[in-house]
Amino acid sequence: MSFRDRLERITGDTRGARPDTEVRPGIGELRKRIEEIMSRRGGAAHAQRPEVLRPRTTLEEAVGGEEVENSQGRFFSVQSVFGPSARHGHALIGELAELDGELAALLAAENSICGCSSGDALFIDTETTGLAGGTGTFPFLVGLGWFEGGAFVVRQLFARDFSEERAMLVHLEELATSRRFLISFNGKAFDMNLIGSRFILNRLEDRVTCMPHLDLLFPSRRLLGHRLVDARLATIERDVLGVRRTDDVPGNEIPSRYLAWLKRRDGACVSDVFAHNRLDVVSMASLLKHLSGLLASAHTQLRLCEGDVLAAGRLLRDRGLTREAMTLFTRAADSADRCVRREARVSLSLIHKRSGRWAEAARIWEALLDEDPLDVFAACELAKYLEHRVRDHRRAMGVISRVIHAGGEMKPHVRRDLEHRLKRLQEKAHAASQDDDREPDMLQGHSGP
Amino acid sequence: MAALKLEEWLARFATDGRYRGNATSVKLIPAQEGAFAPYPEWVHPDLRAVLQRRGIDKLYSHQAHALELVRQGRDVVIVTPTASGKTLCYNLPVLQRILERPQTRALYLFPTKALANDQMHEVHGLIADLGCDIKTFTYDGDTPDDARQAIRRQGHVVVTNPDMLHAGILPHHTKWQKLFSNLAFVVVDELHVYRGVFGSHLTNVFRRLGRICRFYGSSPVFICCSATVANPKEHAENLLEREVELIDKSGAPRASKTFILYNPPVVNRELGIRQSALAPARAMATDLIENRIQTIVFATSRLNVEVLTKYLKDSFRERVPKGLGMVAGYRGGYLPNLRRQIEQGLRERSILGVVSTNALELGIDIGELEACIMAGYPGSIASTWQQAGRAGRRTGHSLAVLIARSNPMDQFVVEHPDFFFTRSPEHCRVNPDNLLILLHHVKSAAFELPFEDGERFGREDLVEILSYLEEKGVLHRVEGRWHWSAESYPADEVSLRTVNPENVVVVDTTETGNHRVIAEVDWDSAFTTVHDEAIYMVESRQYHVDKLDLDRKKAYVHEVDVDYYTDAMTYTNVRVLDEFGTMTRERVIVEHGEVQVVRKVVGYKKIKFYTGENVGYGDVNLPQKEMHTTSYWFTIPWHHLDTLGLGREEVIDGLAGLAYCLHHIAAMLVMADIRDLDRCIGDKSGQWFVRYGDDLRRITMAPEASVKVMENAFDPTVFIFDAYPGGIGFSELLFSKHDLMLSSAASLIGSCPCEHGCPMCVGPVLEVGPRAKDASLMILGLVGRP
Repeated sequence: MSFRDRLERITGDTRGARPDTEVRPGIGELRKRIEEIMSRRGGAAHAQRPEVLRPRTTLEEAVGGEEVENSQGRFFSVQSVFGPSARHGHALIGELAELDGELAALLAAENSICGCSSGDALFIDTETTGLAGGTGTFPFLVGLGWFEGGAFVVRQLFARDFSEERAMLVHLEELATSRRFLISFNGKAFDMNLIGSRFILNRLEDRVTCMPHLDLLFPSRRLLGHRLVDARLATIERDVLGVRRTDDVPGNEIPSRYLAWLKRRDGACVSDVFAHNRLDVVSMASLLKHLSGLLASAHTQLRLCEGDVLAAGRLLRDRGLTREAMTLFTRAADSADRCVRREARVSLSLIHKRSGRWAEAARIWEALLDEDPLDVFAACELAKYLEHRVRDHRRAMGVISRVIHAGGEMKPHVRRDLEHRLKRLQEKAHAASQDDDREPDMLQGHSGP
Repeated sequence: MAALKLEEWLARFATDGRYRGNATSVKLIPAQEGAFAPYPEWVHPDLRAVLQRRGIDKLYSHQAHALELVRQGRDVVIVTPTASGKTLCYNLPVLQRILERPQTRALYLFPTKALANDQMHEVHGLIADLGCDIKTFTYDGDTPDDARQAIRRQGHVVVTNPDMLHAGILPHHTKWQKLFSNLAFVVVDELHVYRGVFGSHLTNVFRRLGRICRFYGSSPVFICCSATVANPKEHAENLLEREVELIDKSGAPRASKTFILYNPPVVNRELGIRQSALAPARAMATDLIENRIQTIVFATSRLNVEVLTKYLKDSFRERVPKGLGMVAGYRGGYLPNLRRQIEQGLRERSILGVVSTNALELGIDIGELEACIMAGYPGSIASTWQQAGRAGRRTGHSLAVLIARSNPMDQFVVEHPDFFFTRSPEHCRVNPDNLLILLHHVKSAAFELPFEDGERFGREDLVEILSYLEEKGVLHRVEGRWHWSAESYPADEVSLRTVNPENVVVVDTTETGNHRVIAEVDWDSAFTTVHDEAIYMVESRQYHVDKLDLDRKKAYVHEVDVDYYTDAMTYTNVRVLDEFGTMTRERVIVEHGEVQVVRKVVGYKKIKFYTGENVGYGDVNLPQKEMHTTSYWFTIPWHHLDTLGLGREEVIDGLAGLAYCLHHIAAMLVMADIRDLDRCIGDKSGQWFVRYGDDLRRITMAPEASVKVMENAFDPTVFIFDAYPGGIGFSELLFSKHDLMLSSAASLIGSCPCEHGCPMCVGPVLEVGPRAKDASLMILGLVGRP
């Protein structure tokens, strides 16, 4: 008896196996459940159906490109060149090519990228047979991008079958190691893990995943996250880069497209996936330019979203570039957006405070209180300044009591803190006034009324 | 009153009328001298110094034996009693090898997280004393993400559980390259726990581990430890699928111990009900603790732990006002801090009594207690010895008491001291080639590494399985390799421990707009407990089931207050497909083989609370469930049964009672949960089955034709079958133990003090009828060999 028959017998799926028994509902219910489990997260079946009648297209017809052969075998490669005058969303390809290594290094928090220039960068994005991770996930398409002259080149390495992976990886390794660093979107958590795994599985030395790496996801979250619903590349394209995708294949459908290709060898199954991947790679270049531009805006007069400028200021401050950060905070401090304006001023005031420029800091705190008499932060800072630097307890008390009595809503613990501060100031002021009274006859040592 | 010492307490026990008559056996297990051996020459001087500082001047003979075999690269299974220094048998070789070759890695598998943690601390302690740079970590579901990377790269000793190896480590083996490339040892403790479904899965996990190790060029030595079972070597070899050396002669010295088997008195002869095991447990524990004899009480459920703890605390509140802190409960669900406090209190003897679930059965260091009371049989003889081992370690007399409950397994054990004390009847069984289990792991294995033509995995024809999976679209074959080609992560699709991970959720719809989930019922029980119109009870509240939606896996209920509960009526019928073995006994044909089982819930009875009156019936329309599995069965021809002079119904009742009893005995022999096996009476064709009607039991055709009552042509057959599709390997063993099964049943039923049958022997009279006990004994007389 065959494996299938025995399996069907165990699981109770006897349809057709025993002519003497009628098929009753419920027979094969376990089998059905097994099938359900197998097809879970699948979605492949219905994705293929409409394509059945379509005439078969060869890969070359569907995506162009050619077979490449190297010491480890063959795979398929598609190259697209975007000239300097080509447009990608708001940007021209030619504009993207001026890559600044220092800014990239700042974005990546990775010093080794510092001395790099446009020609040293390799953009990378993979398409895989699954999103779950683990050794059974196969990156069947590796999209690579680099600048050459003023143009942007995208080369897509495609394993037409599992057996072409080795040759593809070797090619990837050659290309990558001729560059100095990698740029990805979410590559640190996903693509590099996966590629590292594939090198091990193919018993190849991995010189790729250890390269310096700028993962654009993290700086994108920091600089743009404040105005995006999520930090997906597609969202950033739409809301920041001005890229509009039409007929884009949804990411969760990509695995089933490749599995359909494996079965049917119809180029039409994967042509959308190539297009999707190509756009991802170009968008990364555009995104890098945009993020770099934000960091560089201390030195340019570009019109930029002030929230982005503020976020860029924070990033520069955290990387120790205080002067550039101040420039950006100053720009954002006049923003029409109240939140941005306040955050920028607060940040600026703290830089002043830390560097001992008390007068400048106090001016900002006063301005903050002018704008919002309920600004607890500004009130406390100003009070501290008055108390410890100016030693004017009465003015400090005035600042605190004004904010307490401004009549706004306040969290109980905030109010408690303020009241505590006020009380302390009052005691101090009282003691000081007694000191003042006592001073002339201090030697007599009597205590006041 | 001066406190009694344990010996004095025992002397008093022997004359104490309250207890004496109920002890079915009082056995003195004499002290045993240790057999020692020197440290082998090759042991690193630092390691030896660390162990010697802990008072281990020389090794026990079994430790030395294990070390030598492991040193030679042999796989071993060590079966020696609790506290005989088993952990040294693996910790020493592992640390030794790491000292010799620092890149060496070892993987420790424990069945529970708590044990894993405990062992990790022990290794950690040794390493700290060694003062060298050896890293050991536990890796399980609780390990924080940011720690995982360091563990994968740096952990010399990684302590984990089989579930994590299956779903978290093997499918990500490339991240564990360092571990797998240098894996020298795999330690598998508590090997006997891996039996039945769990063991069948684990064998496949080991097959996968083997593939991964071969890929990275390592071939680790397996060091296993097991509690005492009938077939430790065979079991280890079945699990690991390689030859394993057995080490079972303990060289550890042993102090003397009194072991008492205790059967509470019968309080209702009519129904065969005995006093609850909790009552004598409470009385003895109170008495012992009052005499400052440190005692651990094992209860069989969390609820019982709470109940007993409360009883004991109450006893001391009355009598020893200051002694409140003397007693503590201990179970899973207590916060780790509290548990650590209790463990420490036990070691320091500030806590004199602890009531625990089996959470304290294994490993956890709680010092040397003097007495152990088990309120209920822990489910296996192996567990019983492990629990008993918590009292008495190296010196001084100790006491263990096993108190039986009113069920056949408990009764069998206390009434058969011979089995208990001399030779364990318990066999560990696995069936790694169960098609469903195998199929899951072939998928997981293909996910981990593509299969290559000519590769083997299990004893089935791999190419056929791979082709099947290719056709299903989850594998893709190219150039002689089979690649995983689906999006899913197959290891997540199966749990190693449960038969069917799917549940039905019970949703309370009493309040409109505020539906809430009140319970989960496993898939199989859903058919009998939450069918349409059933009364489902949670925490003694009643819910009426409005709709069981199998597709959505939900049962919708609303709260009601009625004076009845429902009991589902099912029919099971078994048809023989294939006979693997046949033998003829005097008047009976005994066989085992493959069967088709069809089960259907056909209706339910409404039963009135307290009176047990039958107050109505209803139909249930649920799909029948069909599976193929393996079974052991025996057939008694009618012409022999006719000689007994019993009516047909009485014969059927007798067989039903006998099947009930054999079901329990079988579960004990194969160390299975009672639900892992099932029973049925029918004929081999599957046409006839026993129908429990309104008032009497008949053999009829399938339910649609229930009018047609059985003719003489039918030779009744008792089936005991594996309740897991495809079978789990129990049936062959039961077949080979047929004589033992029958003689055990004869002795269990024959010695039961009830009048007409009770849950301890043939099952409740209400189910099997008033003549079942007599009839089953007569049938046993006919076919059994008393």
